[in-house]
Amino acid sequence: MNINIDAIKGQTFDAIVVGSGISGGWAAKELTEKGLKVAVIERGREIKHIEGYETAMKHPWEFEHRGRPTNMAAEEYWAGMRTGYTPNEEHRYLFENDKQNPYIEKKGGFDWTRAYHTGGKSLLWGRHSYRWNKQDFEANAKDGIGTDWPIRYEDMAPWYSYVEKFAGISGQAEGLDVLPDGEFQPAMAITAPEMHFKNEVSKKLGRPVTLGRVAHLTNPEKVHTDLGRSSCNYRNKCMRGCPYGAYFSSLSATLPAAMRTKRLTMVHNSIVSEIIYDEASQKAKGVRVIDQNTMEVREYFAKIIFVNAGAIGSTSILMNSKSSRYQNGLGNDSDQLGRNIMDHHLGVGASATVEGFMDDYMFGNRPNSLYIPRFRNWGNDKRDYIRGFGYQGGASRDGWGRGTGMDGFGATFKESLTQPGQWNVGFGGFGEILPDPNNRFQLSKTVKDKWGLPVLEFETSFGSNELKMREDMMHDAAEMLEAAGFKNINAYNKSDTHIGLGIHEMGTARMGTSVKNSIVNKHNQVHEVKNVFMTDGAAMASASCVNPSLTYMAMTARAADFAVSELKKKNL
Amino acid sequence: MFNRREAVSRIAMMVGGAFTAPTLFAMDVKESGKFLNVDLFSLTDAQRQVVAAVAEHIIPKTNTAGAIDAGVPAFIELMLKDCYKVPEHASFLKGVNDLIKAKFLSQNQDGQVAVLTLLESNTKDLMRNYQQRRMKVGDNVDKETLEGANGVPFWRLIKELTLLGYYTSEKGIEASFVYQPIPGKFEATKLLPGQKSFQY
Repeated sequence: MNINIDAIKGQTFDAIVVGSGISGGWAAKELTEKGLKVAVIERGREIKHIEGYETAMKHPWEFEHRGRPTNMAAEEYWAGMRTGYTPNEEHRYLFENDKQNPYIEKKGGFDWTRAYHTGGKSLLWGRHSYRWNKQDFEANAKDGIGTDWPIRYEDMAPWYSYVEKFAGISGQAEGLDVLPDGEFQPAMAITAPEMHFKNEVSKKLGRPVTLGRVAHLTNPEKVHTDLGRSSCNYRNKCMRGCPYGAYFSSLSATLPAAMRTKRLTMVHNSIVSEIIYDEASQKAKGVRVIDQNTMEVREYFAKIIFVNAGAIGSTSILMNSKSSRYQNGLGNDSDQLGRNIMDHHLGVGASATVEGFMDDYMFGNRPNSLYIPRFRNWGNDKRDYIRGFGYQGGASRDGWGRGTGMDGFGATFKESLTQPGQWNVGFGGFGEILPDPNNRFQLSKTVKDKWGLPVLEFETSFGSNELKMREDMMHDAAEMLEAAGFKNINAYNKSDTHIGLGIHEMGTARMGTSVKNSIVNKHNQVHEVKNVFMTDGAAMASASCVNPSLTYMAMTARAADFAVSELKKKNL
Repeated sequence: MFNRREAVSRIAMMVGGAFTAPTLFAMDVKESGKFLNVDLFSLTDAQRQVVAAVAEHIIPKTNTAGAIDAGVPAFIELMLKDCYKVPEHASFLKGVNDLIKAKFLSQNQDGQVAVLTLLESNTKDLMRNYQQRRMKVGDNVDKETLEGANGVPFWRLIKELTLLGYYTSEKGIEASFVYQPIPGKFEATKLLPGQKSFQY
């Protein structure tokens, strides 16, 4: 046999990280900073920080359809259309074409948003960053739902601090058990009607309202400026990519940090089809990839593998990694692989108009909202469902768009639209979804994508707990707007939303106490394939109701620390 | 060697982008033989004159630019072609043709304003019906009901597209707002009498 030894040597690293999104970026940073030679294998194209943000500095008139998706885009980005914003002309270039990347909704609907390029969805995320609280980690055990988390808040707290300092989280310390404080950059400002709302809701309903805790630099420190990051400019055009590196992304923060160690190799356009399992050592020895453009198949080898392809992507790689030992997918002795898809359910809340405050205004476009932490099933509150929800929302003044619904036209009408209209206010809920083994995806046995990989088949639906919770989510939002004295309250609970709409997909390779009930252990290590780590949303055993990315960051840094110490002890 | 679509794209670039995306798309369809939902839409010169006149009534030239100055009529046609489907094409064309039949352009300014005022008033009833139909279809029961019926009424379409086209255009923004693409800070402020909106 004619083996090119150099090529094989060139493709061997200390660690492989699959995916360059939020958690993959963190794995790359931590592992390279701890001395490992790391290859990050990204399935999508390369996007360079700043110069790659092709729409970032465009003026409104430079978008041919002024942002709106065309019929053609609507057809091609059919799943994205359900979100109402991802196929927008401003940032569509960072989302995947659903027609070219099909998936099957076998039962119920599932909204799957993909972003295949450097940085993945870290370029597109909502940036809200909240710690889980103590009860979030204890809830499964207490409720007898799913599996107990083998970790508690105390295990995570130092790692939350660690990642918050590096990422830069703007927020207000509140001293609440329900929403533990972190290491904060200064909080963003609040408008006059929002301050009124905050005070009234606190006084009349005893519910705290705080500024959203978001991964934006408001007062950058050396750790940030060293990487070329600077303060938020309040443009609120984040999803186009931020040329100031003001919000945390793999491109603005973790990948440059990994790159400066000179131990990082970025491999783009390479779809990991499977993890190569070695029967003798009972470890993974590498990954097999398909070049997305040339279809060339290559292999990369390493001592440890971090699978950070996004919850669904990571799990599908394990499913597709079949060997005589693991015929149903790598590490899948428990048959839990692909099960318990969770998200945060949305599309429920209330809006209203604000009377007065007509001489109040604001300067700048705040890329943030208010946040109302969970208050249901908390303390002495007890409902006919379990877990809870938080709200994001705020107030703004109507712009020219109000003209469509107004009577009139002509010179006076034209002039009136140049000034701000009345204030309006709205809050939308983010509800916890329970793990349900029947909410799952599998590899299609018959349908393959253009790379010959099985297309995924989803079966997901909301359960009675979510549906009951939504009643409260609608009612409570209206109640708070009423308490603040706002008018024309419109409470809504959309019945046609799906799991996945929150783009917080998680679960499918859950963490647990035993190989019998879960895929990964308390170190995010596949139970019996110990050099494979899963630290993205896939590992989640429950969902909390707070935005999940900060927890993925902390979990990844924690697991990387463990992996390197195990490697040094020669346990891997 | 490149395929036909690429070839056409290159020609389109050479002649200044004469082909818009749906046209290229339609060529693809023809080539591949696959059915795709492409709705063709265009206006005659007579129809264009009416569209321009109505848009200019909605946002007239005053001491600042009007809809025609800001290129709104062409934008309306582009948007209808690229972003709207058959029901809206039908309702829009019906609205334009009704105005042609009513000899809209032959009337004096006051007459035109009177016609559009009446049109706006009638459209309110149409919008109520339209919203009700949408609600019914919202449950995904019968999409045909919506596809087969008239779309968003003409006046509502042209008003919305005129405002979108004008207030996001360079001339419209310059004429109307304090444009601040890089605010650099966020703070609560007081609104001064007569102060224009910030646009970001």
